[in-house]
Amino acid sequence: MNKEFSVVGKPVIREDGLDKVTGRAKFADDYKFPGMLHAVMLRISSAHAKINSIDFSAIENDESLVSIITADDVPGTKKVGMIKNDQPIFCNEKVVTPGDVLAMIVGESEAKLHELVKKIKVDFTPLPLLTDPKKSLETDAVLIHPVEGSNLIIHHPLRKGNVEKGFAESEFVLEQTYSTQLIEHSYLEPEAVVAIPLETSLGVKVIGSIQNPFTTRRFVSEVLNFPLSKVRIQQAHLGGSFGGKDDIMCILSARAAVAAMKINRPVKIRYTREESILESYKRHPYVLNYKVGYNKSGKIQAMKIDILADGGAYASMSPFVTWRTVVQATGPYEIENVHTDVRAVYTNNPYTGAMRGFGSPQPIFAQESLMDEIAVQLNMTPDEIRKVNGYKSGSITATGQKLQNHEVNLLTVLETAEEDTGFRKKWLENKKDKSQLIEYDFSSPIINESQFISPDSLIKKGIGLAVSFRGCSLGAEGTDAASAYISIQNDGSVYLDCGLAENGQGLRTTYSIIAAEVFGISTDQIIYLELDTGTTPDSGPTVASRATLMGGGAVKATAEILRKRLEELIRSEWNLKSDDEIVFQNNQVLITNHQSPITFKDICKLAYQRGISLATIGWYKSPSVGWDEHVGQGDAYFTYVYGCQVAEVRVNIATGEIYVDKVTAVHDAGKVINMLGALGQVYGGVTQGAGYGIFEEVTTDKGFIRELNFDQYTIPTSKDIGEINPIFVEGKDIYGPWGAKSLGEPTLELTAAAISNAVYNAVGKRFFKLPMNLEEVLLSKKLRPEDLKRGSK
Amino acid sequence: MTEIKFIVNGKNVKVAVEPYIRLIDLLREKFDLTGTKEGCGVGECGACTVLMNGRAVNSCLVLAGQIDGNEILTIEGLANHNALHPLQKNFLLHGAIQCGFCTPGMVLSASALLNKNPNPDEEEIKDAIAGNLCRCTGYKQIIEAVKETAKEINSPSKQL
Amino acid sequence: MISSLEILIPKNLNEALSLLVERKNNCRIIAGGTDVVPGLQQGSNRFANSELLIDINRIPEIKSITQTREKISIGGAETFSDMLQNQIVKEELPLLWKACSTIGSVQIRNRATIAGNFVNNAPCADTVPALLVYNATIEVESLSSKKEISIGEFLTGPYKTKLNKDEIVTRINIPIPSKEFRGDFYKLGRRRAVAISRITLAVLTKTQNHMIDEIRIASGAVTPIGIRFSDLEKLAKGKYADDKFLKLLSQKLGEQILNVTGLRWSSEYKLPVVQQMFYQLLKEIEHG
Repeated sequence: MNKEFSVVGKPVIREDGLDKVTGRAKFADDYKFPGMLHAVMLRISSAHAKINSIDFSAIENDESLVSIITADDVPGTKKVGMIKNDQPIFCNEKVVTPGDVLAMIVGESEAKLHELVKKIKVDFTPLPLLTDPKKSLETDAVLIHPVEGSNLIIHHPLRKGNVEKGFAESEFVLEQTYSTQLIEHSYLEPEAVVAIPLETSLGVKVIGSIQNPFTTRRFVSEVLNFPLSKVRIQQAHLGGSFGGKDDIMCILSARAAVAAMKINRPVKIRYTREESILESYKRHPYVLNYKVGYNKSGKIQAMKIDILADGGAYASMSPFVTWRTVVQATGPYEIENVHTDVRAVYTNNPYTGAMRGFGSPQPIFAQESLMDEIAVQLNMTPDEIRKVNGYKSGSITATGQKLQNHEVNLLTVLETAEEDTGFRKKWLENKKDKSQLIEYDFSSPIINESQFISPDSLIKKGIGLAVSFRGCSLGAEGTDAASAYISIQNDGSVYLDCGLAENGQGLRTTYSIIAAEVFGISTDQIIYLELDTGTTPDSGPTVASRATLMGGGAVKATAEILRKRLEELIRSEWNLKSDDEIVFQNNQVLITNHQSPITFKDICKLAYQRGISLATIGWYKSPSVGWDEHVGQGDAYFTYVYGCQVAEVRVNIATGEIYVDKVTAVHDAGKVINMLGALGQVYGGVTQGAGYGIFEEVTTDKGFIRELNFDQYTIPTSKDIGEINPIFVEGKDIYGPWGAKSLGEPTLELTAAAISNAVYNAVGKRFFKLPMNLEEVLLSKKLRPEDLKRGSK
Repeated sequence: MTEIKFIVNGKNVKVAVEPYIRLIDLLREKFDLTGTKEGCGVGECGACTVLMNGRAVNSCLVLAGQIDGNEILTIEGLANHNALHPLQKNFLLHGAIQCGFCTPGMVLSASALLNKNPNPDEEEIKDAIAGNLCRCTGYKQIIEAVKETAKEINSPSKQL
Repeated sequence: MISSLEILIPKNLNEALSLLVERKNNCRIIAGGTDVVPGLQQGSNRFANSELLIDINRIPEIKSITQTREKISIGGAETFSDMLQNQIVKEELPLLWKACSTIGSVQIRNRATIAGNFVNNAPCADTVPALLVYNATIEVESLSSKKEISIGEFLTGPYKTKLNKDEIVTRINIPIPSKEFRGDFYKLGRRRAVAISRITLAVLTKTQNHMIDEIRIASGAVTPIGIRFSDLEKLAKGKYADDKFLKLLSQKLGEQILNVTGLRWSSEYKLPVVQQMFYQLLKEIEHG
């Protein structure tokens, strides 16, 4: 088909938009069932304690109580996990973090249950607390999970070349330490799920705010000791996820299912914002040590990286999050000698898992800060140093992979961003030779007369950039395949379904566009079916920015199977020659040398009459990748995307406020399928990334979270981030639907690093710790309140 | 239980409720108006925004016992039968919706703005929706949709 | 969670005040509900024994803004949105208008009331510094008495005021400042909207040929409660407002705050910033 695209790359209204804009779209908490009960969680005010006994006697005979659910009610696996089974559904032996749930009480009135739960007496013995990940691996550290034998969740080494030799041959060596903070996904919809017992032979159905129905199904089936086929998961409209409604929702679903099966009535769990922030997993805080050797020319000879991630109380996705880190830790730079160690460890802190970016925003902050620092030292501009070292076609990555089969557009995105923003000129104009920030001496809190800032030098402008490469989809994390189901009706309308679940980002619209393009019909001819694990084929999780690439690939493959059937029908029906061309376009089928076009509808009707099946399941499997875990070498991902973001900021040097005036986001995500969706990904990702850079932080005191709601945990409002300018560079790729790849995560991962470099440009001082909040900018440190106020105690 | 009379989405209604339940719970549970969403319960996120006597309020901060005689508009009442409000249409056209959880509150806040100020500048739009958190969109397409709606309202020749 | 409460909506002040007497020990006033409802919902101790909420939103006596030759009188149950839309407030009391505009979101401003902002005397109440420099007085009524005291007197200590259980703040009276006053309100938060104040400042000055005739200075969020700095005001009176003096005054403000507040976890940040931003504010007012 050598025609222009009809729908791909054009603005298309979301397939679920009408329901969402009228309030009709049903989210998990909007589902109600006759006889439905509520469940409320029992927790204790301790981050690490041995549970001696739970005394329910004060509530046992209360008429508001229908049932008490404890670990004893769990028929199957009592501990679950994404990778390691270390997380109890109900913590009846010990708690290892304040979010832990000991038991659950069930009744008709949620309000009454909240009163009752306070009357339950728990006898527990506090255990020593481990909250500093740097102490997790010390020999006398308390073990969070003694059966694991160590607090080490995972260690990913990577060895390439000879790093010591590389340093010896370098003219300069620079060593820096960076740290990043714990943050909360802040999906606007708190967790909610309802489990409904079905007829005995059918098992249980779960409807919820579930990111990955197939993962949830696995958890529920293990916990209930049911075969997978007796657990049906239906995804409600999902009120945001960003990687955050994966394991937490699997666990909540399992709890609700255990209760529903025990009581034989539907059971709903819904969290308040406070409970959501208290229990749900977060983004990993990292401590990153970088040592880099380089020459006058800016060429990097060697890089030694040591990274420690706080996994918190449970392993969750830590092994995979940190695996992406080890692959991408050098940044998109060709370096002959690399020596990297990434470790994740257990602590009593809130546990950490998947979050949009997934182990990349942290090293990007470090490595992009480092590149700018080297540039300044060598009297180069930030773009120059990156051009010296950046990946080109055929470059070898730190894992020893040769970049091929796609356009390696790192320098293209860099140059595009540079030209669009006038980067180099602005950067040189703003450049400061020394810090513009006042060094206060806190032993005398009254400032010197000479330290007062004159009003005309209060605000400093700066510009900064960051670049990245990112492996698409799961890579060597695991099997990577997706499937789709399409059924064309005899009137030409189309049912579409894919095993990848909508996360709010608009993948169903993207898939509808792909199917519409293949069939040459408009998207309103396509009805997207609800994902139900009972009827939809498993396609793995909606993670790793793989939805367009993998799910889109599956939809395209499936649609092409059916189009081929229609083409064969047409060829035989009209006795076409083999070189006669058939084009599907504008709801019609055009045939070379055939006078009048035939409508798509008529062809479908004809197929039906001829007994040709127009329903099928199609499959898209990624090419294989390889990994040697002992040395961290191999083809980590089968393709990559590239991005460059430029941040323009103003800094108030009296208050430390950073105003993000403009972010120019240039991304090679391959072919853009869903234009409105792609723009939305950039705007949303940049805004989240900026929040990560300048003010978001979950802080803890002895494992307890201080910021349990949006009054204290601040995410960007409509007034916080200035202009965002998305630019797409559509690099060619042999994989994905028409070469479409990944965008969701690349948009977020660069912003904090670009802002940090812009702040340096503005004030002449570099920051090593995220977030760059008011105190960090002014004092290079964080200040914490002494007490928890409304914290998780 | 107290009997409360009020107007919801143009209809006079009478309901016996505990006066201390929140307006959001009254709407969602007694009237099945589940388009009003709860995101925080403390008036910070705006997902529960409804219009009370034409003004945007957080329905998690209003108690049922306070609304007697008032007029409440929820997202379900914004469209005129099946004709979308121009804001709803423009939210669709501009890609101003992702997960959709903030959308009902966002649309209502914007509609309260346009009712009061049919020609808002960008700062006024941002201010009107500053109490409606959105984690997906970065607000840009939402602001565009409101701007475009204002433009349409101000050029009567254009078909809404 | 709220478990049992009665709500009454009196139609006039007398009815409300009578209720306060009748139901003395177990009733609370509710206006905007922006503080009361989350407090109830989270089972805060402040509402432990509440059985009755008196909704004062429909009492005409405390819902209006009036102007006489000498003063502007704002009903205690006026919402911030009403105040923002009021031309009198906007023109005559620009600092108060600005303070109102920085509070919460549109939704909050549509419900929250001016008296509600300061009756629980939280340190971060944004209207307080503005009311302080405007020499506002607070009218308080009970069934048996009526008194009017200055805002500074009314606010006695952190989360404490002179308001008795049987009383309602009916009006906030503000003498119309002379046109010679110039001033500004400043607020610093962690983000650019819907932010809890880290620092608030209000300044009104009257100068003649750079000579300070009168200056009024108040702060919030950096002291345990919002306060006026009368020592500084006396010090400044009659002084030549050159750059050196403005810096000195800013340093003195820092000293005063340190004296009142002592060192806190946030002092290392707030103390230098309050001095710098007070200086910026003075410079800005000086340059108009």
